Amino acid sequence: MLQLDHIDAGYGPVQVLGSVSLAAQEGSITVIVGPNGAGKSTILKVITGLVRPTGGHVVFQERDITALPAHDRPALGIASCPEGRRLFPLLTAETNLRLGAYTPRGRNAADATMEYVYRLFPRLRERAGVKAGRLSGGEQQMVGIGRALMAKPSILILDEPSLGLAPKLVSEIFAKIQELRKGGLTVLMVEQNAYAALRIADFGYVMQNGQVVRSGPTKDLLDLEALRRDYFATG
Amino acid sequence: MADLGLVAADLVVGLMLGCVFAVIAHGLNVIWGVTKVVNVAHGEFIMLGAYGAYYLNLYLGFNPLLSVPVDAAIGIGVGFLFYFGLLHRELRGKETITRESEMVTLVATFGLSLILSNVALAIFKGDAVGIRWAPETLALGPVGVPLGGLYVAISSVAIIAISDLFLSRTYLGNAIRAYSQDIGAAQLMGINPTRIAAIATAIGFGLTMAGGALLTVWLPVGITPLIGSTYAPISFVIVVLGGPGKMWGSLLGGLTLGILIDVLPAFGISTSIAVAVAFLILIPVLLFAREGILR
Ligand SMILES: Nc1ncnc2c1ncn2[C@@H]1O[C@H](COP(=O)(O)OP(=O)(O)O)[C@@H](O)[C@H]1O
Ligand SMILES: [Mg+2]
Repeated sequence: MLQLDHIDAGYGPVQVLGSVSLAAQEGSITVIVGPNGAGKSTILKVITGLVRPTGGHVVFQERDITALPAHDRPALGIASCPEGRRLFPLLTAETNLRLGAYTPRGRNAADATMEYVYRLFPRLRERAGVKAGRLSGGEQQMVGIGRALMAKPSILILDEPSLGLAPKLVSEIFAKIQELRKGGLTVLMVEQNAYAALRIADFGYVMQNGQVVRSGPTKDLLDLEALRRDYFATG
Repeated sequence: MADLGLVAADLVVGLMLGCVFAVIAHGLNVIWGVTKVVNVAHGEFIMLGAYGAYYLNLYLGFNPLLSVPVDAAIGIGVGFLFYFGLLHRELRGKETITRESEMVTLVATFGLSLILSNVALAIFKGDAVGIRWAPETLALGPVGVPLGGLYVAISSVAIIAISDLFLSRTYLGNAIRAYSQDIGAAQLMGINPTRIAAIATAIGFGLTMAGGALLTVWLPVGITPLIGSTYAPISFVIVVLGGPGKMWGSLLGGLTLGILIDVLPAFGISTSIAVAVAFLILIPVLLFAREGILR
């Protein structure tokens, strides 16, 4: 469904990604793990269009979207909860959700999807009128994921959905992500919490220093010793 | 000591004038709050709005209220030209507005301000002109309320209320607010940043020029090419007082200034000192309530 083909990317003169290739299969959960600074978030920014690659191609549903502006991608079915969530802090939780449905694709079904999101995260219904900047970390995470779902995406992109959450909430969020996949959604996520993420995912990539160092079905990646080596290897 | 009846009358006039100030300031506020561009030529567009109303009255017999939609439409057109002519090159493709861009737009709008005020001086000459409209007054106890001013005040509040509804209840309005808070995140929602910045600029100019038309009711013989230099500073004070990007803050700030500027002179304090007092109020606001007096 989504392929990255030899992507080079960075920030200004700083090269971060070197020839990264990866794919997310329709209906599956794909996870990218790796230490801090490996370039995981940068990959997601290339997919959502916030970072323009200097080389390689991004292909979504057989269409080359490498040069497509970020704001034209949600209409194709790409929605994300980015690094740091980036909610609109002065707007209410509900308005944040509504904005997720900005494209016609989302807007036509906005009321029904909103109901779906509230059923997925009942807490948000109670907090609907609260400004996003005043929500707790967990609530903000739910708004971030909910806002992405409001776009009626065919692929959901999540950057560290467990970041800063209490362990109980982490397993709850992961359970919701599995639930979404059962409903037919394709999920591509980045996680620091490698072990837990690999357990719910189908396919995984391990990154280091801007490159994919290992990949495969998650059952093959769940070797703890190898994971530890990937994380603590110095080069 | 000032005569209480006179003070009451001034208070009423001040409140009505403040409503117009609010619309004018609101035009500045929308552009500032959304694109982060401080439009130094703001006063010149108020002045053009006032002349627009004057000529519409002179040739077509329009009263200031009828001129409001015409001026607003012109303002919207001018706003799009202003955005694509001056701002787009600086704002395009940026997730945050850099200091450097801020400086460039500041200098560019300053240049525009000089050009417009000099061209206006050449075309309109220095003579004051004005529109006489609805001079009757409504007796409210001892206080006579000028009807023209009252209609204009009501229209002003309606304009602010409509723009508030637009910004809080429509997808486009919320997209504008989203853009003003995080351009990159707005793009992730599918919001086209160029479209939003252009529309916000156009709305800001529409409000500013409409405000210029509304103001003419208080300038029966006082429209000159220089009025911008009086009302632009007032607008800046109001926006800072009310909080950049805050709709009802503009109204509250406008009323405060309207009262200050109209009531202080009743106590023998000249208008220019009243404006200076308004600027003095800004100091504690900037020190202690940077987001304005409304939470
Ligand atoms: N906006 C940015 N500007 C400059 N460098 C950045 C920016 N964002 C990330 N980087 C750098 O890119 C590298 C990869 O970052 P990132 O993709 O966020 O890694 P990860 O998500 O794996 O922790 C890091 O060295 C980081 O310092
Ligand atoms: Mg990251």
